[in-house]
Amino acid sequence: MEEIISEIPAFFSLTNVRFLVESMGITLALTFFGCGLGFLFAFFIVYARQTPGHWALPLRAAAIFYVEIFRRIPFLVTIYLVLFGLAVIVKNGSLFAIALIAICIYATAYTADIIRGGFESVPRQQIEAAHAMNFGRWRTLIHVVLPQSWPVILPPAMVFMVAFVKDTALVSQLGVFELTFRGKELANQGFSAVLVYTTVALLYFAMSYPLTRFGQWLEKRLATPRSQKPQRKLR
Amino acid sequence: MNYTFQFNIILAHWPELVQGALLSLGLALAGFWIGAPFALVLAAVRTSGPAWLKRIAGAYVTFLTNTPVLIHIYFLFFGLPELGIRLDKYWTVIAALVMATSAYGCEIMRGGFLSVRRSEIEAAETLGFSRAQVILYVVVPHIVKTIYPALANYFIVLTLSTSMAMIIGVEELLGTAYNIASENYRHLEAFIVAAGFYIIITFVASLSLALIGRWAFRVKAKIF
Repeated sequence: MEEIISEIPAFFSLTNVRFLVESMGITLALTFFGCGLGFLFAFFIVYARQTPGHWALPLRAAAIFYVEIFRRIPFLVTIYLVLFGLAVIVKNGSLFAIALIAICIYATAYTADIIRGGFESVPRQQIEAAHAMNFGRWRTLIHVVLPQSWPVILPPAMVFMVAFVKDTALVSQLGVFELTFRGKELANQGFSAVLVYTTVALLYFAMSYPLTRFGQWLEKRLATPRSQKPQRKLR
Repeated sequence: MNYTFQFNIILAHWPELVQGALLSLGLALAGFWIGAPFALVLAAVRTSGPAWLKRIAGAYVTFLTNTPVLIHIYFLFFGLPELGIRLDKYWTVIAALVMATSAYGCEIMRGGFLSVRRSEIEAAETLGFSRAQVILYVVVPHIVKTIYPALANYFIVLTLSTSMAMIIGVEELLGTAYNIASENYRHLEAFIVAAGFYIIITFVASLSLALIGRWAFRVKAKIF
């Protein structure tokens, strides 16, 4: 125990701290860009899934298949699949890009269901009314469905993204310089593993906790559908 | 783009892969069933415990749910020996999964606890039930139905997260696939096969959980 405490000044040297802060930035960047892109793709997946008509059956099946398959594969396997799958097409791709693609694939599958739930929460009559006014599918989505489903989609999507800050730790298996990888490096340099991993855990907490609180605040702020009773009691 | 898939090489190892898949399921089951009682106690403490205990339980859950399971595994596997506690790799994984289950399970169960009507608990107290009896005989039968779908879903997530055990060298499904791949350099095929196995085991697990839920608790969960 005393040995561990005696290591503290050496561990928190300027270079190590800069090292860790930098890697926190990479962790956050992976989360935001990966989930942001995934969110965007998920919109198109849901759009494809809701295409009507017999000719679109394969399209709908593909959208359902994608979501079902990637939700049943561990993220670690997705990472390896992207790593070795991309190696077939592109030699020596950047690890950051591989990590980003893996996160994107995973986030797309998970957020697609959130978005679908949001779209389906819009009353059917609204969409029928839009059709009656000769709105196309795309215009209905943009002008009628999206503005109403935002408050339903955003809180759970935010929760997913916050949870994903932690899941990016798995990307360290690729060798991307994010927080867990830097922690592993420091442990390999001979610093006490207790010290290193406690610090890394606290840094994850420092990133994740404020975002969690923000997500909860957002949920309270947005998730008041019309069906719910007003918050303030009438006296 | 000239890549010829050779699944035969990987599929020839199917007995090992099946064994790995069973170990994955075993780890998930161990983590879940050892963790669930902890989760129940934590949820009980967080809803109706003394204030100081509530705060400690809350801090424990908040800390665990805001840090990666991988870091817990590293801490348990590399950190604990420095403090004089040595766990082998299997127990390390089970301990990490138990910690995760206790924290996430607590959150799920707490939601259930809060849904039990206050008057029912008061009625039980009037009948002279102790606090433990109230939880066991009144709260739990009530919340089983409400939290079952969430817990079933959590079990699937837990099964998927057993794949992290591979990182510290446990030969569960992914670890086995990785070892096979490093023998013959057919990584892509090995991981596709592993993915297929994960899809099968989680599918079987969801299906049986949905059927159990229907049969035992009349939960109308969607199978898909």
